Amino acid sequence: MAPIQSESYQKFDLRHFLSGRANEIGLLVAILVLYAFLAAFASNFMTLPNQLNILRDAAFVGIIAWGMTLVLISGEIDISVGPHVAFAGVLLASLAQSGVPLAVAALIVIVLGALIGCFTGVLRAFLDVPSFIVTLALWLGLRGTAQVMSDAVPIVIMDFSFQRLGAGWFLGIPTPAVIMLILFAIFSFVATRTVFGRSVYAVGGNAEAARLSAIPVARVRILVFAITGALAALTGILMASRLGSGNSGAASGLEFDIIAAVVVGGTSLFGGRGTMLGTLLGVVFIAALVNGLVLMGVDPFAQGIVRGVVILVAVMVNIISIKRMRGRT
Amino acid sequence: MVPMVEPLVHMRGISKAYPGVVALEDVSFALARGEVRALLGKNGAGKSTLVKILAGVERPDEGTILIDGKAVALRAPMDGIRAGIATVHQELSVVPELSIAENVFLGRWPTRGRRVDWRRMQREAHDALALLGLHLDPRQPVARLSVAERQLIEIARALSQGARLLILDEPTSSLVAQEAETLIRVVRQLAEQGTSIIYISHRMDEIRKVAHSVTIMRDGRHIATAPVADVSNREIVDMLLGSAQGEGGSTRIFGQPGKFTPLLTISDLRVAPRIENASLEIRAGEVLGIAGVLGSGRTELLQAIAGLRAAHGGSMTLAGRDFRPTSLREARANGIFMTPEDRRGEGAVMMLGIDENLVMASWGSVSRGGVIDRAAMRRKVTASIRSLGIKLAHPGEALGNLSGGNQQKVVIGKALNAAPRILLLDEPTRGVDIGAKRQIYQLMRDAAADGLAVVFVSGEIEEFCEVCDRVLILRGGCITGEVEGSAIRTETLADLTTGEHGVH
Ligand SMILES: Nc1ncnc2c1ncn2[C@@H]1O[C@H](COP(=O)(O)OP(=O)(O)OP(=O)(O)O)[C@@H](O)[C@H]1O
Ligand SMILES: [Mg+2]
Repeated sequence: MAPIQSESYQKFDLRHFLSGRANEIGLLVAILVLYAFLAAFASNFMTLPNQLNILRDAAFVGIIAWGMTLVLISGEIDISVGPHVAFAGVLLASLAQSGVPLAVAALIVIVLGALIGCFTGVLRAFLDVPSFIVTLALWLGLRGTAQVMSDAVPIVIMDFSFQRLGAGWFLGIPTPAVIMLILFAIFSFVATRTVFGRSVYAVGGNAEAARLSAIPVARVRILVFAITGALAALTGILMASRLGSGNSGAASGLEFDIIAAVVVGGTSLFGGRGTMLGTLLGVVFIAALVNGLVLMGVDPFAQGIVRGVVILVAVMVNIISIKRMRGRT
Repeated sequence: MVPMVEPLVHMRGISKAYPGVVALEDVSFALARGEVRALLGKNGAGKSTLVKILAGVERPDEGTILIDGKAVALRAPMDGIRAGIATVHQELSVVPELSIAENVFLGRWPTRGRRVDWRRMQREAHDALALLGLHLDPRQPVARLSVAERQLIEIARALSQGARLLILDEPTSSLVAQEAETLIRVVRQLAEQGTSIIYISHRMDEIRKVAHSVTIMRDGRHIATAPVADVSNREIVDMLLGSAQGEGGSTRIFGQPGKFTPLLTISDLRVAPRIENASLEIRAGEVLGIAGVLGSGRTELLQAIAGLRAAHGGSMTLAGRDFRPTSLREARANGIFMTPEDRRGEGAVMMLGIDENLVMASWGSVSRGGVIDRAAMRRKVTASIRSLGIKLAHPGEALGNLSGGNQQKVVIGKALNAAPRILLLDEPTRGVDIGAKRQIYQLMRDAAADGLAVVFVSGEIEEFCEVCDRVLILRGGCITGEVEGSAIRTETLADLTTGEHGVH
């Protein structure tokens, strides 16, 4: 076959279609294998209530994961999201305690979350401070602030209708999962169909080329962190609603579940590559794995080991399958 | 002539496919000791793929490789190096943060005991570069060097490996005439000492000076191999392009000088450290060439106009108003767009699709309220691909998969899509084949005919003759000469840039 001179998008090219989706296909297979395994060995895993449970748990990883995907694609990282969730919950609870209406308090928390993200973005974009360092400082600072604000004691939120947000149902689906899926649709659109979304890929793929193409590189960098900050605050509100309190110890280690889900989903830690669909599959994979291990009654310490190994294997299989399908060595 | 005993390398029945593209189809290739072979073909013909397989960078789907008559398996670049094969790849691969000396010895740093022997490394690096006519302090980081200097460092790296087979994939693509001459001299010397050389280039004039024999490839197939003396340029071009559309007459068409209108006037511009005092006028409707030797500040001049480099003195007037761009964005807003010479590093995003790269600098025209209008994007991309003649499997595939010349066309397409008033092209034909070059010249002429001011920098003097209405000579930091219309000739320009005839 001679090289093709193709000018039409219309012509469907199966190999191109498949090689562009090698990652998602590989992940789907991995999820099927995981499901088959857990269905066989974890009792009650395949029941509807448990599957809905997984969906609810997934939301607490997934909502932030959409923003984190953009952060990683742009070549950055944000490890502050776990403490950010705890901080947002505590702030919401203490605002409510001092008489601020919950809706107003929630708005304040989300805006502040976006501003905290902006802070990271500004330091990264204008002062060239690595985002890992800025968010490491925030990781320490936000948890500390939450502890100081609450004396490390949960602050109860005395509004029971509020609890329906995090613990309730909408059309038979857990409300947080509904929010997650709506945001997924929005972020998929943003990533693939908007100028901002494509600029994120360009900046992560080659920041210098993006700059010379007059893409506002600094603005893109600030925005991805601001979005992720706002999503962390939203997750903090949902978490507080689910727990009925603002808890400075909440969401510990959440940042690693999120980054793991995004990377398992095929997003490159070096920037430039990744998809929302991949992240969605990664989130499902991680949520199902965590749930299955608990159901199997695996010792909590051993769970950490198993999770580590499975995540590593998933990422490796993913990378290898992508290389295979691209036909490179 | 070359003694044809047992070949040093013999590649037999090599095939290699990428998704959607057959890069090589049953190619056989043999090379004798001390032979310099020119490998020719259009962009995407499979030249780089063939030498990458020989260097162990890519693996063939089929075929065998014999070295000294013995079959070898080249699985990784290290295997190639062990087999005595040194390669200068088409895409630059220097580490900008490391020093010149470290780059020359990359991965093979000389040691004393366990420690790197810095003094020896610096001395040898200096000598290796001096051989190529480059006198630089080997301790300075490569980041400060121009693309041409980086290219010479890569060549020095390959030369210093003492290889039996030296592969040069477009080694002169960003060098100007004298550096290319020096390299050619060094290559001939090595060949006399018994080194075999594969030399890939799109520059016809070099081929005759450097090679004993030529191999011509087209669409992944071997077309012909013959001693250079036995084939004419015309025959070569015909075989390359696959039809009798060879040299023909000069296709040069001029604009009409009466219609040129001054757009940007630059007076006494100073850009430290290279430009002392440059005064020139850029006119709409005209293709203006800027000629000069390596390090004469051609790129810096363009960058100052494009807002990428601060001027230290002088003034610019754009369409009658004072113009002092402090940022790329400002220059862009005033209709100025520049394509950089380093394609991989600055020109494009290799991981993204060809389509996105084409519209990357003009998102505004294919989106509404920040949302991409996919139909508009397709129309624009399809039009660009057609007018540029880009060879690809699918518009959505990663730009990095394209051959070098086709990548370059995408970078130019991106600039044209940005619809500038002044288009600054820094080495736009670097690594582009003869057919594509002509298309690019035509694109430049069309742009000028549409009223754009096109400014064109090239290291190949012959190019100015093909496309420019006017050429300025940049020498010693000043504009020292101006040649217009039919007075633009290779010999004239060569003399002016090197100052041989002392025209001031
Ligand atoms: N990694 C890759 N993935 C997919 N296709 C590839 C890859 N590398 C090369 N190709 C394709 O293989 C063909 C041959 O490419 P190659 O780089 O060998 O051409 P070339 O003769 O060196 O061209 P140029 O003069 O532009 O450098 C091209 O059609 C190119 O698009
Ligand atoms: Mg090539």
